Amino acid sequence: MYSEKFTETIHACRFCFMCRHLSPVGNVTYRESDTPRGRALMLDKVLQQPQLLENPDFQSTIYDAELSAACRTHCVSHFDEAGLLLAARRDIVESEKVPASIRQVADSIKALPLTVKGEAKAELIYYVDRYTERHQPEIAVAMEKILKSAGIRFQMISGADTGKALSVLGYWNDAKEAATNFARMARSGEQKLVITSCPASYDSLKNDFPKYGIDLGKELEVLHTSEFLQRLVRTSQLPLGPLAIQSVFPLASDFLKNYNAGFKAHEELATLAGVTLLPFGFNREESYTAGEGGVVMDELNPRLVSKLVQHVFEQIDNPEQDTLLVLSPYTKYVLTKFAPKKIQLTTVEELIAARIKE
Amino acid sequence: MSNNLTTIMESSRLAGRSYVDAMIRSELTDAVGADYVSSNAADQLGHSIDYYWIPEMWHDRGRENPKAQYIVHPGSAEEVAKVLRIANNYRIPVTPWGGGSGSQGGALPMYGGIILDTKRMNKVINIDTEALTVTVETGMNAQHMEWAVEKKGFSTMHFPASIACATIGGFLAHRGTGVLSTKYGKIEDMVMSIEVVTPEGEIINTLPVPRHASGPDLTQLYLGSEGTLGVITKVTLKIHPIPQCRKFHAFLFKDMHQAMTAGANIMRSRLRPCVIRLYDEPETARLIKRVLGLDKQGAYLVFGFDGFESVVNLEMAEAIRICQRENPEDLGEEMGQAWWDHRYKFFYPPYMFHMPQAFGTLDTVATFANIEKVYWAMKNVVNQNFPEAAFIGHYSHWYEWGCMLYARFIVENPPRDPEEATAYYNRIWDMAIRAAIANGGVINEHHGVGLKLGRLMKDLYGPAFKVLADIKKVMDPNNIMNPGKMGFRGV
Repeated sequence: MYSEKFTETIHACRFCFMCRHLSPVGNVTYRESDTPRGRALMLDKVLQQPQLLENPDFQSTIYDAELSAACRTHCVSHFDEAGLLLAARRDIVESEKVPASIRQVADSIKALPLTVKGEAKAELIYYVDRYTERHQPEIAVAMEKILKSAGIRFQMISGADTGKALSVLGYWNDAKEAATNFARMARSGEQKLVITSCPASYDSLKNDFPKYGIDLGKELEVLHTSEFLQRLVRTSQLPLGPLAIQSVFPLASDFLKNYNAGFKAHEELATLAGVTLLPFGFNREESYTAGEGGVVMDELNPRLVSKLVQHVFEQIDNPEQDTLLVLSPYTKYVLTKFAPKKIQLTTVEELIAARIKE
Repeated sequence: MSNNLTTIMESSRLAGRSYVDAMIRSELTDAVGADYVSSNAADQLGHSIDYYWIPEMWHDRGRENPKAQYIVHPGSAEEVAKVLRIANNYRIPVTPWGGGSGSQGGALPMYGGIILDTKRMNKVINIDTEALTVTVETGMNAQHMEWAVEKKGFSTMHFPASIACATIGGFLAHRGTGVLSTKYGKIEDMVMSIEVVTPEGEIINTLPVPRHASGPDLTQLYLGSEGTLGVITKVTLKIHPIPQCRKFHAFLFKDMHQAMTAGANIMRSRLRPCVIRLYDEPETARLIKRVLGLDKQGAYLVFGFDGFESVVNLEMAEAIRICQRENPEDLGEEMGQAWWDHRYKFFYPPYMFHMPQAFGTLDTVATFANIEKVYWAMKNVVNQNFPEAAFIGHYSHWYEWGCMLYARFIVENPPRDPEEATAYYNRIWDMAIRAAIANGGVINEHHGVGLKLGRLMKDLYGPAFKVLADIKKVMDPNNIMNPGKMGFRGV
């Protein structure tokens, strides 16, 4: 079993309570099994009795995990429970005991074709993830406006997964195939840069592709749009007008914060753009992404995502006045869909695009 | 539980869910909502092990721990009351569960029944900036509560190592303490008032202020009762302004006795340190070396003061002068601050003890006249009878009259057989705790009694234990609340 490779993590976490306050799912379901300790305990039991991996209660708990990795960042020894859960999901899939609901989501993702539009001799590729494409097209519209305004020739790839959603669901081999397809498409032109608004896809391109043996980095630089915009603003390639929004409350991304330690491009971009970042919630450790780490969590368990959104909503001091800077299209979508009242949401793309002089 | 119902429930357990199970589940669902009643296998496992070594070891050796049939998450005192009325009607044991991070087995569902998990009651109700109090529901995680209070510019000053994992109700249930207790007190010193759901489902409140002459102190009766007398659902706690500064200083003494003299002298001088912590020579060599990198022989002592900087500087200078009388090595502010910065690191893996080691925290408290005698009595009895065990200790919570000893034993390779390991483990506890009692100590200072130490309550209290047992009988006539814990009658 792949989860056996995480035996040290299981043994470290199975009786340890030290990060449970940062468990987004546990904090809304109140279940012990939805905490890092509870999950490690359960997977320790699976090591003892492998047939328990087929137990529907165990499987649903494994797939309800939001994979924020806040626990890993918090832990003084950084034990990788997110990695453990991904391994457990892979064990479930490869033992062919995967629940039908999970298989359906995976099949629908696998069926998506990659589509390309834009100039063949572009300088960069803008990868548009599923949440931006389907639900939050204003993010891509804003980015297109920025690229055009900066005079950058670009190509847009959209549709299929880079492999992130499939790998998170436990479909490692399919994820590798999706990544290979993406890499083939991305390498076909003369582009030197891939940018994406989606932190999950960014993490996939940066960190998962090398695990599949795809060294995209040698040929193509990968940037999150906040990093790219930071460059544009710093080098004055954009004709910026006055600020539309003076201050925002950033909702950190799980993938940028906990999977790519030290990522601060959005903070530096805000400083360059003159936007004040105000602290959101009670602390900087908790995940306020409503399940971004789960990538397609709204498709797996919308009721749970609704509870996660309610928790985020409760942290907003003045829902009618405060603007939240959301770094993930997924989070923007689920906050829009599930919040009990309308929330003012923006993204780095929209913040900057709004300042471009027409 | 009646024998008849026990039989019915046991056969229903064996046969899968029978109509009896389904009927009770329906009533619980009606009380708290469908999302908040579970008989899920993952939940049952998660609620079958707390931070007590025995169930951890039991699990590690592949044995099944006792599990609750129903895990319920009430969202209010009213819902708690409904659950307790159902439990009373069917005589079902109810085990309250907060963060589950107790080390004494107090939250283990040893007779099955209902786990009443309080975490859904997690709201801040009010922060009173005139009286400086916070009122919260007791299922709130202590770190979340602290963050909420800090956002308003105050602090609870309650910083236990378990702050991230325990609920505030957990601290109330077993009289917990925090690292700054020497100045700000244990949890029982912080409480203004509580709301309790009695075992028969009545919601009551204790008096709104903790100092009065209006009869015995009902609040204090519930604090430390570990869910045996009811469920504490709401609490008002004192809060404090965030101090202008907090400073630390550390010394290395030749031995623990010299360091104890210095620490006791600081307390007798009536200076008000927020913390004093003294590590014996073995723990200095073992843990202070590992966590802080101090590789020297001796006893490490750190203390701190907080408040207005001018006052802190004065107090600090006096405390340093007191320590210097014993000719210690001055480790300075830096090694004091390092301890504060890493104060929780000791409790994370791999720094914390772990399987297959057997380990236990023999925390006790005594007067200055007795505390070193207690230390040596416990250490000697462990060393003489269990030479394979290491014994280390530190003194972490200091009072005007004495201090708390946080002694620990560690056995690298206890017996593999779970029953044998349990018996071996209990023998260490029995001998060490009885040695503490014989020398003026008590069975516990801030972790509580639970399942682990219940059998020793009669040793500690003598005839006075009957008073506690009678209170339990009167308040919980059907014995549904956490039966078999704290030395009280089981099912």
